[in-house]
Amino acid sequence: MIETINVARVLREAIATPYRILVTRATGALVRDRIELKLSQSGCQAAVLDFRDVDLLDLSCADEVVAKLLRSGKAGFVAIAGLHEELREQVHEVLEPQKLAVTIVHDDAAPELVGAVSDDARAVFVVLQECCCADDEIARRLGWPADRATAALEALMAQRLACRDDDGYTLIPFA
Amino acid sequence: MSRIVDIPAQFDDRGFEQFVSGIGAWPPEERLFFDARGVQWSTPSSLLSLLTAGQSIHESKGEKPLLAIPVSDDVRSYWSRLRFFEHAAELFELHGKLPRPHKGARHSDTLLEITPVRASEDVHDVVGGIQDGAQRILTGELGLEAKATMGFAMALSESCQNIVEHAGTAGWVAVQCYNYRRRLGRRLAVIAVSDAGVGFRRSLEATQAKRFGDRWRDGTALEAALIQGVSRFRDPGRGQGFGGIKRYLQRWNGKISVRSGTARLAIVPAWDDDVPLVENLCFFPGSQLQVTIPSQETAAE
Repeated sequence: MIETINVARVLREAIATPYRILVTRATGALVRDRIELKLSQSGCQAAVLDFRDVDLLDLSCADEVVAKLLRSGKAGFVAIAGLHEELREQVHEVLEPQKLAVTIVHDDAAPELVGAVSDDARAVFVVLQECCCADDEIARRLGWPADRATAALEALMAQRLACRDDDGYTLIPFA
Repeated sequence: MSRIVDIPAQFDDRGFEQFVSGIGAWPPEERLFFDARGVQWSTPSSLLSLLTAGQSIHESKGEKPLLAIPVSDDVRSYWSRLRFFEHAAELFELHGKLPRPHKGARHSDTLLEITPVRASEDVHDVVGGIQDGAQRILTGELGLEAKATMGFAMALSESCQNIVEHAGTAGWVAVQCYNYRRRLGRRLAVIAVSDAGVGFRRSLEATQAKRFGDRWRDGTALEAALIQGVSRFRDPGRGQGFGGIKRYLQRWNGKISVRSGTARLAIVPAWDDDVPLVENLCFFPGSQLQVTIPSQETAAE
């Protein structure tokens, strides 16, 4: 099960403000607490944070909402949707120095990764969008030695950007 | 008895340093009489600093200072438009002919009048309230692309949060668009933030002083925060606010300067002739931050 969380709605529940802006650490911490509560109540292991109605996200709030949620592991797998291009940069700037990354899902395009992701991991992520694969199959498709593919897959797994099931490695079907 | 501290006719960054040197030791032992009668021109930053002086004296239980307000109608009107007198009335004994409180529409140059910042909620109101105006000024008057607005709001938010997170007391913010005096006709948008708090050195002392040893002073504390992105918190996500502001300023050829204690550090773009680091200035309480975004034509020079 994947829980989709409307972040602007959580903001409205958390604080009384006429603005759809996610700013300050205090606000971010309140929003993250509510997101974690929703996830614990739903029992979902994967969440899509929908930023569609959010007009602004500053770095402090991005750190509190996204980076700390990823670091805590309480959400299992996390993706982000509806992020404006400029807000996407804020998320990247916060995640990258902390060696964190998250999947961005789009309505009309393939998912992408922001944050600290190696080129190899990105290449494997693209392959996994097409199919669930074992590591040797990924190595074959990319023309890599097996250990290179395995290392990239392990990196994606460690960042909870991919998972493994009986058929091989796969992405979480967020979209 | 009170001691007179002259406020220079040109109450800008340089005038501010003259003003501070006139105050002398901090906190002042005598009652001060700030004489602003001759002020001909002032910046939002200098007005915030004047309020900060009053706030710091108040918080150190000093006697309420006197303030003789400017004689110039234009200057008085400008200070009134920025709502300076509303806040100053609580911190100073005001002398002179006060203009009627400004009740009309916000002046087109003013994006945010002088506003107190005490808590996270204030930052919300400040940032939320300037969004439409920021778009108008940055794209309409400065010729920046529309996407510059979101970064401007982010820079404002992170600047204000320094007060909430680090100062240990309240502060002030104002945002305005004005002509750059040294290059007439050039337009700038300025975020001015000031607080009467502990300053960068004391804020970072517990975690950073040992690392710097004998070199630890106001200037090195500013370098640690602004250049190295150091925070007093050990949380790995901390210390990114200045990094975000710097990236934004790099993109739009802007400038940031921070004064704290006895030092002032600036990241200076090519269009300006400021000095990157000045130390051994006269002490002034708290921190004063200024973010400047130039018009596109100024940035291109």
